[in-house]
Amino acid sequence: MNDLPEQKETTLSFEKIKEDILRPMQNHKGLELWIVFLITVIGVCAWAYYVQLRDGLGVTGMRDYVSWGLYIANFVFFVAVSLVGMLISSILGLLRINWITPISRIAEIIAVAFVAVAGLVIVLDMGRPDRVLNVLIHGRFQSPILWDVTVITTYLVISLLLLILPMIPDLAICKNELKKTSPVLKKLYNILSFGYINTPSQHKHLHKMIRTLMVLIVPVGLAIHTVTSWLFAATLRNGWDTTIFGPYFVAGAFVAGSAALIVAMYFFRVSYKLQDYITDVQFDKMGKLMVAVCLVYLYFNLNEFLVPGYKMKTGDDIHLKELFTGNWAIMFWSSQLFGNVIPIMLLVTKKFRKPLPIMIISLFIIAAAWIKRYVIVIPTMLHPHLPIQNVPENFVHYYPSAIEISVTVLSFALALLIITVLAKIFPIIPICETADNEGIDYKIEA
Amino acid sequence: MKNIIKITASLFLIFTLSVSVVSAQSWSVPNLSKKKQNPYDTSTKNISSGKKIYNINCKSCHGDATMRNMLPLQPVAPSDLGSQAFLMQTDGEIYYKVNKGNGAMPTFKKTLNDESKWMVITYLRSFDKNKKVSKKIAEVKNPEVSDVKLLLDINKETKSVSANLTGVTKKGARVALQGIELSFKVKRSFGYLDISGNDAYTNEQGMIEIPFPSDLPGDREGHVNLLVKVTDDAYYGEITVDRIATLGVPTDPENPLDERAMWGTRANAPIWIIVSYVGGVLSIWSIIFLVLFQLIKLPKLAKTEE
Repeated sequence: MNDLPEQKETTLSFEKIKEDILRPMQNHKGLELWIVFLITVIGVCAWAYYVQLRDGLGVTGMRDYVSWGLYIANFVFFVAVSLVGMLISSILGLLRINWITPISRIAEIIAVAFVAVAGLVIVLDMGRPDRVLNVLIHGRFQSPILWDVTVITTYLVISLLLLILPMIPDLAICKNELKKTSPVLKKLYNILSFGYINTPSQHKHLHKMIRTLMVLIVPVGLAIHTVTSWLFAATLRNGWDTTIFGPYFVAGAFVAGSAALIVAMYFFRVSYKLQDYITDVQFDKMGKLMVAVCLVYLYFNLNEFLVPGYKMKTGDDIHLKELFTGNWAIMFWSSQLFGNVIPIMLLVTKKFRKPLPIMIISLFIIAAAWIKRYVIVIPTMLHPHLPIQNVPENFVHYYPSAIEISVTVLSFALALLIITVLAKIFPIIPICETADNEGIDYKIEA
Repeated sequence: MKNIIKITASLFLIFTLSVSVVSAQSWSVPNLSKKKQNPYDTSTKNISSGKKIYNINCKSCHGDATMRNMLPLQPVAPSDLGSQAFLMQTDGEIYYKVNKGNGAMPTFKKTLNDESKWMVITYLRSFDKNKKVSKKIAEVKNPEVSDVKLLLDINKETKSVSANLTGVTKKGARVALQGIELSFKVKRSFGYLDISGNDAYTNEQGMIEIPFPSDLPGDREGHVNLLVKVTDDAYYGEITVDRIATLGVPTDPENPLDERAMWGTRANAPIWIIVSYVGGVLSIWSIIFLVLFQLIKLPKLAKTEE
């Protein structure tokens, strides 16, 4: 598709950058249709949630054995995807890697949307969401659940700050340029631009804050997914009782998050016509990054399955055989192949790192990453430690009900809606940072 | 596919079970084994301990001896082991069958030791009408009584429990009941601990004294729940007395929830985990608030510059 030959953007001026980036925010019919579509999906699926709220969690496929089903698998996936914000805009940003400038805001938007919805997915999984505050009121310091609630909230706040703070100069431009926008948005731009006029002291002050947050989000980002893994690893269940679960989850999160970012990059590039900014270079570099994180993940997968698979100790053996050759073999092997092995093999070649091929590969990686979370959560739950006699048939199998699937679709639609709305009201590519990178001088009027 | 497996399995079971049932009807005992003799006396004590073992191991299927209340199993119900038809057999034959088992009757070769098996046989033999001699020894003659009373006396000095069993005869006199076994039990966390010892039978005065174990823990004040009953309900119905006795070793109970531990309440969380959590939250959030505070200064910086 719109693959431009590799040429340097020599013709860019500040005016052109401003225009290119602000145009889709003002006039984009497709985007509005897309929002309407998402709201419709959310509306329909909200009815499913209403049924669950009215009739209780009995309408889901969850029973005594599998009490963490589709929702928790989905929650882990959402947390995983949200970690991309920390990887791209913080780790690579701190390393002063230039090519991430045009995509760092997309990464941060994905992080905010997915971590916000991840928190919501937990509430959706509750039979009595009205008691959600009890987690904080009666939470025990010993419980990973309390840590998870804390760290997700913290990550959401820091991600939001890391989205808004680097955007302050751009919002000052928005305030000046977007005259025809709604009064609400005007007010929003006015407040969030914090009177920024790009004086040297303001610039210095702002970047000091941003760098502080970038450093801060590294431990918090690591913590968010490590603690999520501890929800599992702090138990004695086969398949969860492993010491590498924290880094294993983090490695998997980088894979899932990078794939989500590539897909988002592709759609913004095409829909917003941003070929001059999100260039083939970005896709190429993201492809290389993807190979790197996939290799790390592959290494962790080897450790996670080869070592217990070699020992096959009691309890683990049933679980592993179920995964390797049993009922879960298809899901397990397809998640490993499509989410890890094949992408590595393909993405080492340059032609697969072009926008369209890498986007398609990323879609597979996302699907595989989602299935992987499902395979982590459910098979373990199907093997209770204490056998019960005369177990009802629906305890020993788990199939998500239509209600559960609808509520899961709702969570996806909601995350996409948040991303879309944020991309509608905020410039998706950092205007001032791009100008800085290009060495273009600019002024922001008060 | 699963159904086929189930059907084959059930057919196989039915087949093997019916074979064993058929063989149950011809339960031959080798001649040598028939001649084996019971090495134990037919004493009251042996009969009584045989009855205990019988009640635990045999009663669930065979029911009470002579009462014909066995489990109605098909096609062959367990025999009434107190019936004359059963007791026709020699001691050796019964011993052999208990050891071997047959069909639904399990083997007790390893479940019960030899002494226990012979005690059961002694007990069963006490129902044998052809062996009048042993029956005489087995029974203690007590007059027919009503209003049976069990009185407890707890002696703290000697750390012992004594019980007195009496009943009212038809003539209206309260008399002692002798040779009756009593069970002395102390309530523990899971069920009762029997402290009766081996020889808990009332003497001619209907009295019995049992030493209380010196190392048995009680609650903070040394209280224990003591339960005394006539072991065999068949004599006078269920006669039980319970009492709180201050005979145990005073012990401060350890509540696992009192210590700081992972399983404790929030207030009893381990210090290190509270420090880590609170410290982590405070340090991260103080930086967040610091940044927010710096953010407010941003507009002012524009003015100072101008």
